[in-house]
Amino acid sequence: MGSRQVIEKSLTLLRSLPRVSLNNIRDNPGSKRTQKRGRAQHGGDKHGCGNKGSGQRQNFMRIGYETGTNPFYLRVPQEHYYKGHHYRRQYPPLSLRILQEMIDTDRVDVTAPIDIASIVKTGLYNFFPDQKHFGINLTDEGADTFEAKINIEVQWASELVIAAIEKKGGVISTAYYDPHSLFLLKNPKIFFESGQAIPRRMIPPQDAIEYYTSAENRGYLADPDQISQARIKLAQKYGYQLPIIENDSDYNILSERKDPRQIFYGLEPGWVINLKDECILKPKDEELLRFYSL
Amino acid sequence: MEWLGSTILKTLWKPTINSVRTRFHADKTRLVRRYGYRELLWRGGLMPRIGARKLPIPEYRPANVWTERRALFGQNDYIDILGTGALHPVKTLYTVPSWIRGVSGEEYHVLLRKKKMWAKTGSPQTRPTKWKELEKRMGYLYRKLNRKTKTGPSPD
Amino acid sequence: MVTLLINAIKRLQVSTLLPIRTYVSVNPQSIPLDNSLVVTKKEWKFPPAYTKPREVWIENLDTLEEKKLGLFELHPSVYATTPRIDIIHRNVVWQRKYRWVSWAHTKTRAEVRGGGKKPWPQKGLGRARHGSIRSPLFRGGGVAHGPRSGKTHFFMLPFHLRIQGLTSTLSTKLAQDDLHIVKDLELPSDEPDFLLDLIESRNWGPSVLIVDDSDLAPRNITAAADAIAHVNIMPVYGLNVYSMLKHDTLILTLSAAAKIEERILQHLHSITTDKEASFKLNQV
Repeated sequence: MGSRQVIEKSLTLLRSLPRVSLNNIRDNPGSKRTQKRGRAQHGGDKHGCGNKGSGQRQNFMRIGYETGTNPFYLRVPQEHYYKGHHYRRQYPPLSLRILQEMIDTDRVDVTAPIDIASIVKTGLYNFFPDQKHFGINLTDEGADTFEAKINIEVQWASELVIAAIEKKGGVISTAYYDPHSLFLLKNPKIFFESGQAIPRRMIPPQDAIEYYTSAENRGYLADPDQISQARIKLAQKYGYQLPIIENDSDYNILSERKDPRQIFYGLEPGWVINLKDECILKPKDEELLRFYSL
Repeated sequence: MEWLGSTILKTLWKPTINSVRTRFHADKTRLVRRYGYRELLWRGGLMPRIGARKLPIPEYRPANVWTERRALFGQNDYIDILGTGALHPVKTLYTVPSWIRGVSGEEYHVLLRKKKMWAKTGSPQTRPTKWKELEKRMGYLYRKLNRKTKTGPSPD
Repeated sequence: MVTLLINAIKRLQVSTLLPIRTYVSVNPQSIPLDNSLVVTKKEWKFPPAYTKPREVWIENLDTLEEKKLGLFELHPSVYATTPRIDIIHRNVVWQRKYRWVSWAHTKTRAEVRGGGKKPWPQKGLGRARHGSIRSPLFRGGGVAHGPRSGKTHFFMLPFHLRIQGLTSTLSTKLAQDDLHIVKDLELPSDEPDFLLDLIESRNWGPSVLIVDDSDLAPRNITAAADAIAHVNIMPVYGLNVYSMLKHDTLILTLSAAAKIEERILQHLHSITTDKEASFKLNQV
């Protein structure tokens, strides 16, 4: 028997059956397994606790404790590969393959610059700023099959990734966001509902300045001329013809960048977003303007 | 002579001897122990039972299944799907106290939460015994869970 | 002989396809003979892909006798999906359990008053050894492993199972002629008897759940339904599987039916990763 028109058949069948109500519904048979206890002669002898020892007497030793001998986890010499890991910045990875998938399934709009806010909105990428996550590390998996022409801003990218995007006529930049800004980008609605003014983005910490000012990494603080030089250099290194983005029809999209102090595209620090009345409140006070322009 | 005398007496006077045998239980007089004590076991024999000990059949009082609470049971349980999406159904459980609303866990977890939320109220001062028993129970459960129970595999 | 066999087979009505009815049953007298019927064709945001939309009659509430005012289309992914009885059951179990807190309580031996002193010496009396008169073995002592107050049975059913619960129940109701669409909820009088007569004459089940799009239903129907315990009115956001099953008949207004459809279709066609994530206490 084929499975044709199963829904129609079952709905037609229901017409001739009694009314489905609270007292004649049930779960699929066998869907629940009740826990069973041993019965009969030796069924409940030791109640699943085994014979003798700490298991039966229920005085369980702590994990790793070896009844007084020098335990294994202390016996071997230690090498602290991960020492201080909880102070380091982490960048949860996102591969080019998944980025391409997001674009193909229309989860990301390529007619606008892409930043971490639009990536998070797809639901396919998640990160936690309170767990030392500082944004996206765009990885090179799927670099060979990447086809989209995009203007993307990530927090970390390798040379191959930069080459894969620039080969297709796209633009990539790496930018630093402090944890508070990342909270805002991850869930802007909660922040806007709180009625606070959009803060300024913080400048990178000392050990990150080098990365974000270097043209090789397409840092957002690097000199634009040096970036143009680096683009040509990278094209020569990987052997592809660099498309000239100045002649591109999407030049406006590709050339759009955020200000180093800006968090959201199109919204400046100091503005208050009123979701209820759907309007934006901008500061006029001299002191405020001076504070937010810094 | 003595022998002769007794023989004559025996032949002349014969007392009648009835041997009394208590063969049946019904013939025995029951020793009354614990006088005044109401016997809970029925000793009046087998069926039929006497009417005085019959239990009354309870009156059938069906519950009204269409009271307001029952008729509207489950309202707003799908408010996150059918509403604007701003409200979670757990938030509509107004009848459940806030410290246990949406909580699923061991007794210890529930008590931890209860204690945390009640500590700021006047509860420790106004109901000191209740508070003491709460802390006592938590101490007992802490020892039980940490020292006398095998910890399960780690969630990761 | 052959013709006899053919006739017998014809009478058996053996066919590969079951007769499919895409609308609720009709009383022929209630259909107007002139061309006053309104046939609403909908502009779907998410048009049905493989199945035809279900057509239902729009009925009236302002007279006792039934009038068909027009035809209305319902989306098959909401009103004609697989009627999964097991998912309906799981939804009902969830609705019962997630709000259920058991307040049954017993005192342990530590909480029963007294019992600090050793009742009699350990040795020398020929009696069993005991340390407290509040031990579970004693009359009036504490209870071992008794119920402790504040036992919850809370869990959240997965998001899409709850959506499926709604669509399954709506489909079941429509398939069994227990779902009716009315134009609006205007009644000519606020007498409860009128509403009862109406329900009787339409052959609706004794208990009726009326769902409207707005929070405020018209005065007449509110007053009438208020006096009848088994006729209840709910807004769209209050609709749920349990109430639909508890009431025999479900009456939706045009706008309510459209709203339910719109909300569920929205969820079926959007990214729901955050809603599928497991429930956390601090999320609400």
